[in-house]
Formats: sequence, C-alpha cells, structure tokens
Amino acid sequence: MFKQLKARFGGGLAIAILSIIAVWLIALVILPQLLMVDYSLRPNLLPSELGGEKDTYSLINYETLFANKIHLTIFLKTIWSSVLVTLLTLCVSYPLAFYLAKVATPGQAALCILLLIIPFWINEILRTFSWYIILAYKGPLNSLLLALGLIDRPMRFMTGDGAVMLGMVYAYILFMIFPIYNAIENLDMNQIKAARSLGAGWIRTHYRIIIPHAKPGIATGCIMTFMLAAGSYAVPALLGSPGSRWFTQIIYNWFFEGGNWNQGAAYAFLLLLICIGFIALVMRIFKVGLGDIAR
Amino acid sequence: MDSSVHLDNVVMKFGDFTAIQQSDLKIESGEFFSFLGPSGCGKTTILNMISGFLDPTEGAVKIGGEDMRGVPANKRPTSMIFQNLALFPLMTVAENIEFGLEVRGVNKRDRKKASDRLLELVALPDSADKQVSALSGGQKQRIAIARALAVEPRVLLLDEPLSALDLKLRQHMRTELKEIQRKTGITFIYITHDQGEALTMSDRVAVMSAGQIQQVADPITLYREPVTDFVASFVGENNAFKGSIQDINGSEIVVDCGPLGKLVGKGVGALTKGQEATLFIRPEHISLIPVVEGNSFDVTIKEINFEGAYLTLNAETTYGHSLAVQIGSDQYSSNMTPGAHISLSYHNKDAVVISGGENV
Ligand SMILES: Nc1ncnc2c1ncn2[C@@H]1O[C@H](COP(=O)(O)OP(=O)(O)OP(=O)(O)O)[C@@H](O)[C@H]1O
Ligand SMILES: [Mg+2]
Repeated sequence: MFKQLKARFGGGLAIAILSIIAVWLIALVILPQLLMVDYSLRPNLLPSELGGEKDTYSLINYETLFANKIHLTIFLKTIWSSVLVTLLTLCVSYPLAFYLAKVATPGQAALCILLLIIPFWINEILRTFSWYIILAYKGPLNSLLLALGLIDRPMRFMTGDGAVMLGMVYAYILFMIFPIYNAIENLDMNQIKAARSLGAGWIRTHYRIIIPHAKPGIATGCIMTFMLAAGSYAVPALLGSPGSRWFTQIIYNWFFEGGNWNQGAAYAFLLLLICIGFIALVMRIFKVGLGDIAR
Repeated sequence: MDSSVHLDNVVMKFGDFTAIQQSDLKIESGEFFSFLGPSGCGKTTILNMISGFLDPTEGAVKIGGEDMRGVPANKRPTSMIFQNLALFPLMTVAENIEFGLEVRGVNKRDRKKASDRLLELVALPDSADKQVSALSGGQKQRIAIARALAVEPRVLLLDEPLSALDLKLRQHMRTELKEIQRKTGITFIYITHDQGEALTMSDRVAVMSAGQIQQVADPITLYREPVTDFVASFVGENNAFKGSIQDINGSEIVVDCGPLGKLVGKGVGALTKGQEATLFIRPEHISLIPVVEGNSFDVTIKEINFEGAYLTLNAETTYGHSLAVQIGSDQYSSNMTPGAHISLSYHNKDAVVISGGENV
C-alpha cells in the first residue's frame, strides 16, 4: 500500500496519509474498544477503591447476564426479533428489488427509488415518531379502521413487539433493498430468458437462477439489517412498551442510569459477539466469502 | 410431428415504432431456415415472438398449426440459443444441460443419461463436471446447443450464436450445426447478419431490412435472382447502374444509363417503360473478353489484387462509376496495371434489372 501511495503522491505525502489512517484507526477505533474491553473485565468500584485489592480482572460482569433471568430473556428476544425483522424485511424487499431491477422501465424505477429514498432524508427519530403517531391509540390508523367498520374499539398497537418490528422493517428496508437490487440488476436478462425458454416457471426461475445470483446481495442486506435491528435504540424506545424492551435499552440503563459502565460494556460485548456469530452463520448459509460481500 | 412455424400476418409494434411490418411466412417442419439482415432490422424481435417473450401486436404465430398467443415462453415447444449463450455460470456443464429436464421432473438417473448422450453428440464427452467458466468459447457454444436440445424442442431458435467465435471456429461450428440439424430433424430457425453463414447452412433464407421481409428463397435463388434492390446489394457483392427503362423485349430489359449507354439485363417483377430502375451485375460476371450482345464499357484500372485462383480489379468508368470486377487468374496479362484502360463486358442473362433503386 505504501508503495502505491508513494508512486502516486511521493514519499512525504504517502507517509502523511498513512499516519493519518493509522491515527484514526488506533486512536478512534481500536483504543476506545480496548478500553471498553478493559472496563468490561473489571468490577464496578468506587474511585477510592481503584487500583486496590478488589480491582482484579474477572468474567463476573459477563456472568451477570446469565444469572439475571429477565435480562437473559430480553437478550434472547432481541436476537430472535432481530432475526424476524431481517426475514420480514427480506420478504418485503426481494420482490421490490426484483421489480426495480428487471421489470420496471428506467423511468418507473427511478421514480420508485426516489420515493423510497425521500423519507430517509428525514431523521430516524422523526421517521419513527411518525409511526408512533400513526399507531397511536387515537391515531389515524385506528380512526381509519373504525371508519371502515373493521373494528369497533380502538386497538393498542404499541404493546408487545409488533410495532417495534414494523418500525424496524420500515427503518432498515433500504439497507436490504439496495444490495439485492444491485445484485439482481447486473444479472444478464438472457439468463432469465434462457431459464424460461427451457421450460422453467417463475418460481423455479427465481430460486434456481435469480436468487443464487443475488446471494451476496441478500447476505449483505441480511447482515446489515440484523446488525441495525439488534443495535437499534430509537425504534424500541419510541414504539415499544415496558413489556417489549430491547437489549440496547438495558445496556443504556447500565451506562446512564445504573452508572455501571463495567457491566454495560460487558453486555455490549455480548451483543457484539452474537452479531459476529450471526454474520458468520449467514455467510456459512449463503456460502459467501467476505470478498463477495464487499463487492 | 408437425413442427412448422407460421408467421400469420404478424405485425410487431413498440409504441409508435413498427419493428416488424406485416409479414406472412411459413417455415416447414425440419427446415433449416435463416433470417438474414443488418443490425436492428428486427431479427431478434422475430425470434422473441416465436419463443414467446413477445406477443405480436397483430396476426398470429402458429407452431405446428397451433396459435401460440398467450402461451408463455416456458410452455412453448421451442428452445432458444442466445447471442451471448447465457449458460448458467453457477452450475456445472451437466447441470446446465439437465436444467430443462429437471424442470420437467425427470429423475436424476435419466437426466444423467440424457446429458451424457448430448455431450457425446456435441463431442465433449468428458466435460460433465466442469465449471462453465473453464470452457473455451467453442465448447461453451456446444454446451449451449446441448442444453437447448435436451428439452427435445420441436423448433430450435438460434440468435447469432456464432458471432462471438473466431473465423476458423465459426466455419467448423457451421458444419457441426448442420450435422446436428440433419441428425435430429428439428426445425432450426437461425438468425444472422453474416450472409456467408446464412447461404452455406440454410435450406431457405429470409432477407430482412428495416422490419420488412424482402425475399424468402433458397440461397442460390437469392444470389442469382434477387427481387429487390436491397437483396441484390446486401447478398454478395454487386455493381449497380441506375437508369431508366427504355425498352422491354420479353424478359430482356434495356436500361438507359445516361452517358454509360444502354445496358441490357433480365427483368425482375413488374416493370414499365420509362420507369426508374437499377441494373445489377456481379463482379464475377464481368469479363475481359468481348461478348456478342455488346454490353460493354471502357474503364480505367484503379487497383488490382491477386487472390490466387482469381483477381479482383477496382475500376472506374470514364464517367466516374466505380466498379468491382473478379476474373480468373488465367485471364491476367502483364499490361493490367493501375491506370491502364481496358474494355469490359457481360452477358445479358447475368444482369438483373430491378425497379427503383433508393437503397443502392
Ligand atoms: N422492447 C423494445 N422496445 C422498443 N423498441 C424495441 C424493443 N426491442 C427492439 N426494439 C427495436 O426494434 C428494432 C429491431 O430490434 P431487434 O433487436 O429485433 O434487431 P436485430 O435485427 O436483432 O438487431 P441485431 O442484429 O443488432 O441484434 C430496433 O430498432 C430496436 O430498437
Ligand atoms: Mg439481435
């Protein structure tokens, strides 16, 4: 890398560029993380006890999660719900991505993409809040359903995980659509025609030709959506109820309400660990490498 | 089984643009039929109509006498070989060939048998487990043929399948395609903009221009008796002389070509006195030896190329028409050098006169 940079910018500038990258990586990415690892392995002590005999490394903060039934349930629920959000988003996005890439005329595709992107110019909190308004007890959705006579009493949408998952599908759909759209877009139309000409119906054409081709895109979309869902704070905070807490909220509480950074850091790392495991699993299932995803 | 294809007065429009003008054409069972025409004339559109990727705006496509309107591509007794072959890159060679059978629910053992037999037919018996990317251009070509044949289509549609190959391989594949067609007896509908390909392989050829079928005939007739000026100038090389018809004596037409004088040729189609017309003479029909009828003109040699068995001359008449001439090497004499003046002539029966002449 140094050689290439040197060839292009000369020695002095190349060293400068590399040092900036190194400083950025070390000071802003690696060091804070290491600090958090350090935190997570030490007990939460009063300032006077720091460096004292109680200040020893242990895994006790990590064990807390498995000892606390409520936290463990929320942790597992967060993972499971994030998987569901990912699958739901995939089900919604794939047909849309296929339509945009292969069925729509360029004009229609451009219009649809614009319509998809415009809401994302608005801040995530505001966007989620609009769902809060729509789903409210006296909100427009209830009014509509009442007016249509489908229900005779307003419904509480925002109890349980339903509203949270809906909000997340909405919040992260673009991260699923675009990788899949890109993957399908560069599929040669003749591949589809060839399958058709050999007698394949639409379903078989999708699962034998189009989906295998779009696999890296689907994997990328799934990984991004899962990570965002599992790490989401705003959506569950706004659309959830006390009964549908997300694991991120627990981490937040440790840091800012419990004042126990050590415990919070350990929880955060457990979440990270699971996410990495999920990525590895998805890559295994889809038989894709890191290179395919980075494409 | 009847595997004829009938384009029954079809018209294909894309919005306001008419890609295929009204055409009526019947391709017989077991025929090797080609569509020949320049890029953009609507050849692929015709194949798309037959294969079911497009339904004609008007008229009907009939396969084996059955109207195919509304029958989707995967339900038609046709199979297509694409210009870029479109082999499935994520499948092995055998999986590619067996795909159509898998769709039809054929069991694994019979599929394997079929793919082995087809690999034998296309002379690639050991490549079943190869990856598509490991094949050479010619091998890919043959796998594409095998894949299309695996579903036992009644009609095989080929969209310029040889255009990506080098000359040598192309010539080799021509013979092979012809051989496969003879062995299987399937109706082949072949698309090309390469006239050599169309003329050597086909039983009949349809020449197209701008969405219009100009002539449908066997290769020899197409070459010898073109019916439109487009066909005359598109198929093979031709020299064209514009003029107006001065006299009609039976099938012999006298064309007044202005300063060049009167030239005589065979008439094609309905011609009337005084009408604008073009007289076409092939380079190989022009000779140095004066002929009795007296169609002759004096030219200056511009360029002379020795090609072994024959010579090609680029010549120019006194009035600036340029002219291509091909003569046997035995007629060469040392005074044929650029700048030399010679006299050329031809037989009346070898020239054709066609009305109009916008395309020349
Ligand atoms: N789906 C379509 N919509 C609009 N116009 C089209 C469509 N398909 C083809 N055309 C037009 O119809 C004409 C014929 O196209 P076609 O693809 O049949 O040509 P072709 O003879 O196969 O040419 P080539 O030798 O370059 O493949 C072209 O002018 C093309 O632009
Ligand atoms: Mg074409």
